[in-house]
Amino acid sequence: MEEKFIKFGKNLVPIEELLAPGHSFCIGCGEALALRLACKALGKNVIIANATGCMEICTSPFPYTSWRVPWMHTLFENTAAEISGAEAGLKILMEKGKMPEKDIKCVAIAGDGGTSDIGLQALSGAFERNHDFLYLCFDNEAYMNTGIQRSSATPYGASTTTAPAGKFSIGQTTQKKDMVAIAVAHNIPYVATACPSYPFDLINKVKKGAEIKGPAYVHILSVCPTGWRIATDIIIEIGQLAVETGIFPLYEVEQGKYKLNVDRPKLKPVEEYLKPQGRYRHLPKEEIEKIQERVNQEYTRLKAKVTASAA
Amino acid sequence: MGERMFIEGNEAIARGATVADCQAFFGYPITPQNEITQWFAREFPKMGRIFVQTQSELGSINMLYGAAATGIRAMTSSSSPGWSLMQETMSDMANAELPCVVIDVQRGGPGGGPIRHAQQDYFQCTRGGGHGDYRNIVLAPASAQECCDLTQLAFYLADKYRNPVVVISDAIIGRLRETIEVKKIDFGPMPDKDWAVTGKGRHKDGKRRVVEHAGDLFARYPSYQALLLNLDQKIKRMQESELRYEGYKTEDAELILVAYGYTARVSKEAVNMARTEGIKAGLIRLITAWPFPYEVLRQKASQGSRFLAVEDSLGQLVDDVRVAVESHTEVGLVNILDRHMPTDGGMILPDKILAKIEVMK
Repeated sequence: MEEKFIKFGKNLVPIEELLAPGHSFCIGCGEALALRLACKALGKNVIIANATGCMEICTSPFPYTSWRVPWMHTLFENTAAEISGAEAGLKILMEKGKMPEKDIKCVAIAGDGGTSDIGLQALSGAFERNHDFLYLCFDNEAYMNTGIQRSSATPYGASTTTAPAGKFSIGQTTQKKDMVAIAVAHNIPYVATACPSYPFDLINKVKKGAEIKGPAYVHILSVCPTGWRIATDIIIEIGQLAVETGIFPLYEVEQGKYKLNVDRPKLKPVEEYLKPQGRYRHLPKEEIEKIQERVNQEYTRLKAKVTASAA
Repeated sequence: MGERMFIEGNEAIARGATVADCQAFFGYPITPQNEITQWFAREFPKMGRIFVQTQSELGSINMLYGAAATGIRAMTSSSSPGWSLMQETMSDMANAELPCVVIDVQRGGPGGGPIRHAQQDYFQCTRGGGHGDYRNIVLAPASAQECCDLTQLAFYLADKYRNPVVVISDAIIGRLRETIEVKKIDFGPMPDKDWAVTGKGRHKDGKRRVVEHAGDLFARYPSYQALLLNLDQKIKRMQESELRYEGYKTEDAELILVAYGYTARVSKEAVNMARTEGIKAGLIRLITAWPFPYEVLRQKASQGSRFLAVEDSLGQLVDDVRVAVESHTEVGLVNILDRHMPTDGGMILPDKILAKIEVMK
């Protein structure tokens, strides 16, 4: 029998903060916000494996830590492998009666570089082996921790320090890698996208991903004022615009079935999202049109999948 | 006259590579070498050369394998954890005899470690780093000028011996801003890269070329023994011809400091301080961390000099000093625990070294 998933309501979200204050995230960090919400959804009965990146550096400057839950640091390329090992370790301890049967959630967290670049091999392996774990990718669309270098999750046209815009280039010349599609292609039970601008949607997706048996993947867009060159007080707005323009649609894929969580009858023009961001400042009109065209195409494709799933 | 500029060590490495005709750079973000990657990202497209940011250090080093196989001069750079990740291919390139230059801007370890300076990769660089019998030539710059010059030398030596060459820098040398002169150094004529894979019929003899590690397919050597013999001879040749070091006030020195990289700069200051106190101290600064000047140290030891290794690690270089002097004389150590403050930001300062010199004199 499948248990019914109970959503978080407004009054059900725990007050307790499992990510302690005093960390060194930048002002207005979308990732810190997403992490805080995710921790609320996960609760204390959890083991978190954290790849190198902003999240690790900012939450655990030696000898301090912000983590009020069991946590381990991994290298850059192996978060999914390490959490697979932890899951195997817990399994054998419980099977041999060395510890009581408990539903301890194994959660891997990493940035977009640690997920879509260097960590992809380990992640694919863990999906394929069907470990019971949740993978959270906090996507701020570049290697922000080391100084805003491009990653394969950096969107087309964005200027970064290793894909600088100028006379010879418009910045990132390749399209953002579709990690969600890659996760879906592994036929895992649960894949979703989330954004802290939609907090209840985010915590419910994280909760659902953690409760589902087998691998789950949640891709969280984390607005980065430092790297995206925006004011620190508009990150929620920018996150909303990413969703409302269709650049980052919020949807989930449960057992292969697509469901759109925020479905606006009409998408806002992408220019509204691109304009306030310094990393897109150099884009000429025709490039913005190109981006608009691609977003329209992708969105139509997604809608088709949603319709096909409903049928 | 070359162009004079006020730049940091990391950029000097990039500029050195550029004047050495490096045509392609493959990089991946890691502190504290990001300035190298970012410089290439900004400047190489303007020159019509290739910059690629790869998906991991494995991507970088294996793209380097491919580029080196076509005979072009190419390079990658990383810092300690990334350098660790590259080792399987470093070993493979030594076997396949591909010339390449890899920069290791050292940071702390073990594991992820702190992102600030350290000198803990000495063993890994000088002993090869990966599995199997091979050695890299290891060049250790101690200034921004040397970052530029030794990178050029690295390309030359790599081509000359068809062997990987490592430039071992550290976060302090990498971020140290100094006035340097960027000047192309002429090392003389180079052997023709007739072994490179550039497509069938592109060579004088019209035959195809094979680049492979001689483990399963013996196109280059008739047997595994022949490969090992060649490696052995190559290692000996490099040891004989490529040893480089700087002796500072060593002629009459009773106590000789041995160091490389940033600690060598600090040691020089300590030697000067000791000399004003009337202590006969000197310094041997390694320019090649491998080959190591064993014979030079042995000779000094036989003349009665004692030694003090100075390094920002628990003790790696000191082992080579001990091997060199064969327990004939005393070998002291100033190590990472002697930093002026016990944090990852602390560094070894001259007065700490001087205190040790005073104890040992």
